[in-house]
Amino acid sequence: MAGVNVESGGKGGRRAVDSEINMIPMIDLLVCCISFLLITAVWSHMSRMNADAQVPGPPNPEKELNPQPPDKMLHVEMRAEDKFTLIWKQGPTVVNSIDVPRHGVDIVEGAVTTTRYPDLATKITEEWKANGSHRDASDKKLDQAVLHTDNKTLFKEIISVIDAIYAPKRDFGAASKQIPAFNVTFSVN
Amino acid sequence: MAIHEPGRRLMHLVPLKFVQKRVGGGGHRSVSAPLNLTSMIDFLVVMVVFLLMTFSASGEIPLDKNVKLPKAENTVDMVDAPMIAVNGSQVLVDGTAAGSTRAIEEAGRLQRIDELFNILKSKRELWKATQGGSNKSFPGVCILQVDQMVPALVVKSVFQTAAFAGYPNVSFMVGQIPKTERH
Repeated sequence: MAGVNVESGGKGGRRAVDSEINMIPMIDLLVCCISFLLITAVWSHMSRMNADAQVPGPPNPEKELNPQPPDKMLHVEMRAEDKFTLIWKQGPTVVNSIDVPRHGVDIVEGAVTTTRYPDLATKITEEWKANGSHRDASDKKLDQAVLHTDNKTLFKEIISVIDAIYAPKRDFGAASKQIPAFNVTFSVN
Repeated sequence: MAIHEPGRRLMHLVPLKFVQKRVGGGGHRSVSAPLNLTSMIDFLVVMVVFLLMTFSASGEIPLDKNVKLPKAENTVDMVDAPMIAVNGSQVLVDGTAAGSTRAIEEAGRLQRIDELFNILKSKRELWKATQGGSNKSFPGVCILQVDQMVPALVVKSVFQTAAFAGYPNVSFMVGQIPKTERH
């Protein structure tokens, strides 16, 4: 019979007092738990990529108006077919401009082909380390990246480029959580 | 051969036959065999622990069947927010039709989608009516489920419409590519 034998005493001439713990209910409980968890299991996992729209809000009269120098922003130009152009701008002033050749790496998973740009990701990481303004873990602001695309560019290409822009990571907060260094937004024109 | 007087017999006064057989060595093999279930219980416990760790209380995320999502590596976890699906020609908000993309593609320029704007605005007002009493500020988060073949013009139009309706924190829903080691 399924059970656990628990012996106590029995030496020195006294009668052994055995007791068997019945494990059948526990096995039933475990089988029920496993069945429930298997039936309710969610195996496919979707994720998301942030892209904040910078919509100007109403002025806040409580905040003192102090003229602040504009932050440096990284503009990623993807309209050319053979290259990407990374332009650091501070307001209207162009600080730096670099061209990155457009070498896509195709990843085939069954019927789905995903294009990735590892060279672009590496270059953006280097650029952020050299020119990024918000790198400290206690800094709550993120560096801004503006994506310039042609109106006919397919969404999957846009996602591939945004994926490359999100490659550089930085520490954030006291817990040193790793988050993307850039916050991506789209250019209207 | 000499005849001897028979000696004492064990348990001959006990009337129960099965006791006599047992004590006298009846000769039958026992049909019951002990089964060690310890390893099976260990296996079940490990299975339960594994399934509990991978259990997701948020459940399945509704995915529009006409939308084929692109994949990316540098992603963050999903959140619970209004879902705007954009397939080849339709825009849907939580399953409700909210406009067509054909007008945008034909015009060839960025424009606001009025039905989408109105639906999102009413969702925002409903949120304020139900939760406006508390000190929470409106999160303004929405998730775009966009088919990978949709052109950028449509994506930007939907994005801009959502932003002007009070949802500036837009996220794109994507499939997950396993993270690669970077050295």
